[in-house]
Amino acid sequence: MELSDANLQTLTEYLKKTLDPDPAIRRPAEKFLESVEGSQNYPLLLLTLLEKSQENVIKVCASVTFKNYIKRNWRIVGILVEDEPNKICESDRIAIKANIVPLMLSSPEQIQKQLSDAISIIGREDFPQKWPDLLTEMVNRFQSGDFHVINGVLRTAHSLFKRYRHEFKSNELWTEIKLVLDAFALPLTNLFKATIELCSTHANDASALKVLFSSLILIAKLFYSLNFQDLPEFFEDNMETWMTNFHTLLTLDNKLLQTDDEEEAGLLELLKSQICDNAALYAQKYDEEFQPYLPRFVTAIWNLLVTTGQEVKYDLLVSNAIQFLASVCERPHYKHLFEDQNTLTSICEKVIVPNMEFRAADEEAFEDNSEEYIRRDLEGSDIDTRRRAACDLVRGLCKFFEGPVTGIFSGYVNSMLQEYAKNPSVNWKHKDAAIYLVTSLASKAQTQKHGITQANELVNLTEFFVNHIQPDLKSASVNEFPVLKADGIKYIMIFRNQVPKEQLLVSIPLLINHLQAESIVVHTYAAHALERLFTMRGTNNTTLITAAEMAPFVEVLLTSLFKALTLPGSSENEYIMKAIMRSFSLLQESIIPYIPSVITQLTQKLLAVSKNPSKPHFNHYMFESICLSIRITCKANPDAVGSFEEALFMVFTEILQNDVQEFIPYVFQVMSLLLEMHKNEIPSSYMALFPHLLQPVLWERTGNIPPLVRLLQAYLDRGANTIASAAADKIPGLLGVFQKLIASKANDHQGFYLLNSIIEHMPPESLDQYRKQIFILLFQRLQNSKTTKFIKSFLVFINLYCIKYGALALQEIFDTIQPKMFGMVLEKIIIPEIQKVSGQVEKKICAVGITKILTECPPMMDTEYTKLWTPLLQALIGLFELPEDDTIPDEEHFIDIEDTAGYQTAFSQLAFAGKKEHDPVGQMVNNPRIHLAQSLHKLSTACPGRVPSMLSTSLNAEALQYLQGYLQAASVTLL
Amino acid sequence: MPVVNEHGERMKKFKNKGKDAAALRRQRVEVTIELRKTKKDEQILKRRNISLSLVEEAVSLGEDKRNEIIQLSLEEIVEAVNGSNTELQLQATQATRRMLSRQKDPPINQIIELGIIPRLVEFLTHADQAPLQFEAAWALTNIASGTSDHTKAVVEGGAIPAFISLLSSPHMHISEQSVWALGNIAGDGPLYRDALINCNVIPPLLALVSPETPIGFLRNITWTLSNLCRNKNPYPPLDAVKKMLPVLICLMQHEDKEIISDSCWAVSYLTDGSNDRIQIVVDTGILPRLVDLMACPELIVMTPALRAVGNVVTGTDEQTQAAIDAGVLTVLPRLLRHAKSTIQKEAAWTLSNIAAGPCQQIQQLIICGLLPPLVELLDKGDFKAQKEAVWAVANFTTGATVEQVVELIQSGVLKPLFNLLLAKDSKTILVILDTISNLFLAAEKLGETERLCLLVEELDGLEKIEALQTHDNNMVYRAALNIIEKYFSEENVDQQPGIGQDGLYDFSVEKQDFNF
Repeated sequence: MELSDANLQTLTEYLKKTLDPDPAIRRPAEKFLESVEGSQNYPLLLLTLLEKSQENVIKVCASVTFKNYIKRNWRIVGILVEDEPNKICESDRIAIKANIVPLMLSSPEQIQKQLSDAISIIGREDFPQKWPDLLTEMVNRFQSGDFHVINGVLRTAHSLFKRYRHEFKSNELWTEIKLVLDAFALPLTNLFKATIELCSTHANDASALKVLFSSLILIAKLFYSLNFQDLPEFFEDNMETWMTNFHTLLTLDNKLLQTDDEEEAGLLELLKSQICDNAALYAQKYDEEFQPYLPRFVTAIWNLLVTTGQEVKYDLLVSNAIQFLASVCERPHYKHLFEDQNTLTSICEKVIVPNMEFRAADEEAFEDNSEEYIRRDLEGSDIDTRRRAACDLVRGLCKFFEGPVTGIFSGYVNSMLQEYAKNPSVNWKHKDAAIYLVTSLASKAQTQKHGITQANELVNLTEFFVNHIQPDLKSASVNEFPVLKADGIKYIMIFRNQVPKEQLLVSIPLLINHLQAESIVVHTYAAHALERLFTMRGTNNTTLITAAEMAPFVEVLLTSLFKALTLPGSSENEYIMKAIMRSFSLLQESIIPYIPSVITQLTQKLLAVSKNPSKPHFNHYMFESICLSIRITCKANPDAVGSFEEALFMVFTEILQNDVQEFIPYVFQVMSLLLEMHKNEIPSSYMALFPHLLQPVLWERTGNIPPLVRLLQAYLDRGANTIASAAADKIPGLLGVFQKLIASKANDHQGFYLLNSIIEHMPPESLDQYRKQIFILLFQRLQNSKTTKFIKSFLVFINLYCIKYGALALQEIFDTIQPKMFGMVLEKIIIPEIQKVSGQVEKKICAVGITKILTECPPMMDTEYTKLWTPLLQALIGLFELPEDDTIPDEEHFIDIEDTAGYQTAFSQLAFAGKKEHDPVGQMVNNPRIHLAQSLHKLSTACPGRVPSMLSTSLNAEALQYLQGYLQAASVTLL
Repeated sequence: MPVVNEHGERMKKFKNKGKDAAALRRQRVEVTIELRKTKKDEQILKRRNISLSLVEEAVSLGEDKRNEIIQLSLEEIVEAVNGSNTELQLQATQATRRMLSRQKDPPINQIIELGIIPRLVEFLTHADQAPLQFEAAWALTNIASGTSDHTKAVVEGGAIPAFISLLSSPHMHISEQSVWALGNIAGDGPLYRDALINCNVIPPLLALVSPETPIGFLRNITWTLSNLCRNKNPYPPLDAVKKMLPVLICLMQHEDKEIISDSCWAVSYLTDGSNDRIQIVVDTGILPRLVDLMACPELIVMTPALRAVGNVVTGTDEQTQAAIDAGVLTVLPRLLRHAKSTIQKEAAWTLSNIAAGPCQQIQQLIICGLLPPLVELLDKGDFKAQKEAVWAVANFTTGATVEQVVELIQSGVLKPLFNLLLAKDSKTILVILDTISNLFLAAEKLGETERLCLLVEELDGLEKIEALQTHDNNMVYRAALNIIEKYFSEENVDQQPGIGQDGLYDFSVEKQDFNF
């Protein structure tokens, strides 16, 4: 493409079209641009347009297109990647680099940002080697005095240098930084000083100040990047200049820079916040050099905190500033800055207490955005909040001053509680702050599972609980002072391990009452607190609160929980549903009388949410609760399964018919559970569904595969004979599923689960005609694309087959597929790979199967397979004695394995939830080593002399020693 | 400052089960790029002979005290030096030397530009004029004490052979000044160091060491010897090292602190290299003495001794064992608690390399009570020392038995370790994350994964690891994500459902929940 007016015109047309809302016009234009972007001069045409086009919209569009073009194409991927050739020719590259900086600096802000981004993308590749004059070009602009230009340079520099904050140290990186420092540090320092001077000369000019402060913010950010990796010599020598000025800026205020906006941080706040970060960087990494300046910063930052308001816009600044103090006060050699009683008192009074106050913004969130409030308050996503920072400062101070700090705060807590008592309806926020203060003071360590695990011994938690928390919760009105109610409930929740059990028991009915509170936060907290209390451990691995202790409350608890789900805003409240699940699990058979009503409510809920499933946690706990209802009821009365089927199948049918994808895997699992409850032959209602389960469309969805395999396994477990007799024509379809699964590297283990169940349960004759095909399929996968996971499953399968059908049958079927196949599999797969098998049951299956091959397979004794006998025995001993071989060849690392291979994965174990892992060998063999010894003994009596001679000629000494151990343990000798 | 191996390389070793202990040890690799000021605790490379007072100078010269100092202009100097009047030659050389010896801003460049160096070198050979020889030697010493270019000017003036032959001068002060000048030349770098060695500087230099040698002179000799041992790329030739080593070992027994210090520095250079170089030093049996000196209260002795021992333990397991047998582990606790942060840092680096050894050595480390000071350092040390302490913990967790890991955790390492996840240094964060993974591997073996999970959460580690999932450094972010996914996603045991293949929750009722 030439740099001609005609081409500029064409490009303008196409750019315009890319802005068209109609895809029929937009898409072809985008395609066209992409097709010509490899042409020489294309980027230069774009640059010309963004500079000279008559229309502003084309200028902007060209700049965005240019930035994206650079982003996609500037980086030259290694020459090995042939389909990604270098699209930008060398002369264009040179021209771009020669022109882009002045162009960026003379452009209006909107375009400047795009070009600045483009420069940093180019810089990432070319700077410094292939763009040596970039820095000088930029630095020269500092002299311009035009702060629009200067800010452009600073912004670009910031995006070029900010990677120094996270990259690993390397010679290459440090060479670059050194080069940058040599060219940039002094001019930046001079600019910093000059800018500060200008700030005082323009102290009365608001618009000038805004520009200057934007520069200062960028300069402070650059300081952070340049000082991050190590303390550069230049900055050490100029620390006085930088730190003195930073300090002054921290203490500076100017009415003209104050903003009216309550939410958005202004320039002054952003600058001070960055300075706090810079000071924290020096305090942490360059303590020795920074020590002389540190006390001044502590004082300045502290004054800053004392004088900063409660508005949201100051939040980042305040939390950064408090975090700075928190990190400094923990260091032993700065202890003295804080230890004075007056200092401590005023930090507590002026910094901590005010930042713990419940603000208008919190109140709003409590009422109108309860989900967000709960997430912040309960789940700890409060990292950057003031309350959190204040809490961290308390904990930091407690490291050295726990006694005095506790003392000071006790006074505060008391006076705040007194304030509250004087006039609760006006002063309730004082009590909120008091509770928060006690909480942060007392908690030294906390986990989700156990609440507070270490508490400050100087705080009497139980006394506070009895005197100040319980009274609120006992109050007749559950809707009065909702924030204090939530505080109280949270207190129980987090100090549940510190408060004595009697007090917890007293609290339970109070919590149940609060399930009816109108405030979403309050009833959610009540549900959550109950759920947490029910999971506490007592002695002997039982629950702390027993079903017996809960007996008086069962009805009211269940009713209240389900009623809470009808409160506005909580129809799909996951905390409530989780509490339902946990209550079932705790109360066990005492819920049985309520099951009819419970299951009705759960099915109604299921029906309702299946219209539009949106809360995955809620849905999950709902299905858990359904499962629990089934399990608990059927444990007491197995015949009840029918009534569950009656209640649920209608909804299930609707879910399946409407193809509610989120719920289908759950439905299959509940069905598996129900089917397994049947003691006798499989009911006809299930059999009617069987053909549908084999529909390919179901198996196309990966999420269905594990639960469907599990369901089919339940069918086979309960109804193999029925399938063989009444649905023999479906066996090919069943095996088709196996074939489909085995073809996938991700799902082959699921295919093996299915196959193992088929082999274990189906009557042998029903499979006769398919047997050979099954093995052929497996051998094909083995030949074409074997993976470690496949081999492991394959080994388990053939050994299971050997156990079920006998070693001779195994050898025969292999050798009918291809002569000497059996020997080849032994030599190439079983012997070298057997040690990779993992899992107790899996190893046992393999041990028993191999023992059979060794001792019950005549061809192993008197054909050419005999030479494999000792190596196979050695491999078996290795399986017993050597650590598992878990090396995986490199390329397999990248296969997407969702589920680790095992005979029963966590997923299919669901089928037996509450039962033991399925072991097809079972009691037949208890100790595989002894079993091996006994089997060898039997073999040796059948052909005296042969076994010892095979052992002595080629079994290695170590293996032989192990084997002798097994023989001794089994008290047998070989003849 | 020790430099860490390439991360990838280390990780590879890290994950392999049969890890190679040697690969964990981190050699003191020359950092080619420094952002910081040159360190103050390094030994001085070149020194100028500064005249403190005229009186002292006069005494040392044995001159008549009433002699007036003669002021000459540069032009006069050039003329006199190049002339043939021996009296004027001496005056001019002396004037030159005086200018070069003044406390502030010696005019080294101007003197070089005069072009008189070859003449000064020539004066060195005037055996009949001892005062002239001496003045010239002094002046040249001070020129050589400058930048590399300054030293180069002296060497190219042909000074090396002249100074070497002056070592055997009958006048002690001339021979001493020559030792000094040679020290400055050797200190310039490996090139001139080897040039000196090739000119056979070592035998006459060593011949100067005797029980009668005055202490000041002996200090100079030791310092020059240390410069002959110094620098890598290449290392000094082996046979030269073997010649110097026995004398250095003797000097290390001296009572003068400066002599001990410089001989320790020399040994620290000799051990700063491959294992066969370390072996030569270990074979001399000097380790017990070095370990004694590590405990010396004098910083100038402790620093190089610690450094030398630190270098030794970067070697093989056997070499490390030799240092352990010499008692290094009993001295380290004090050094880890030393008031000076550079000592803390070096001590922690040394410990990190011992911790990289086999579990028997780790056991000795535990028995000698190294865990408490290590944890203290991790908690309260200077950042540079904390970084090394993190490496020590990381190496420990790689090679230790599960019992030893339990001991480590019981010593309270977790809290300070987690605090350092807030460090402003990506590498340190990554090493800690790797360490946490190692701890989990050990916990898995003990069936204590859940307990460790709780500890991590209690001590605010979980929250910090979670926050690192948004770290800008890719490797850090991935390592954090890995730990969360592996140990904390489903482990929030209360049946938080995991995400299945389809983005839905895995429906998994765990049995313990139903057996309450």
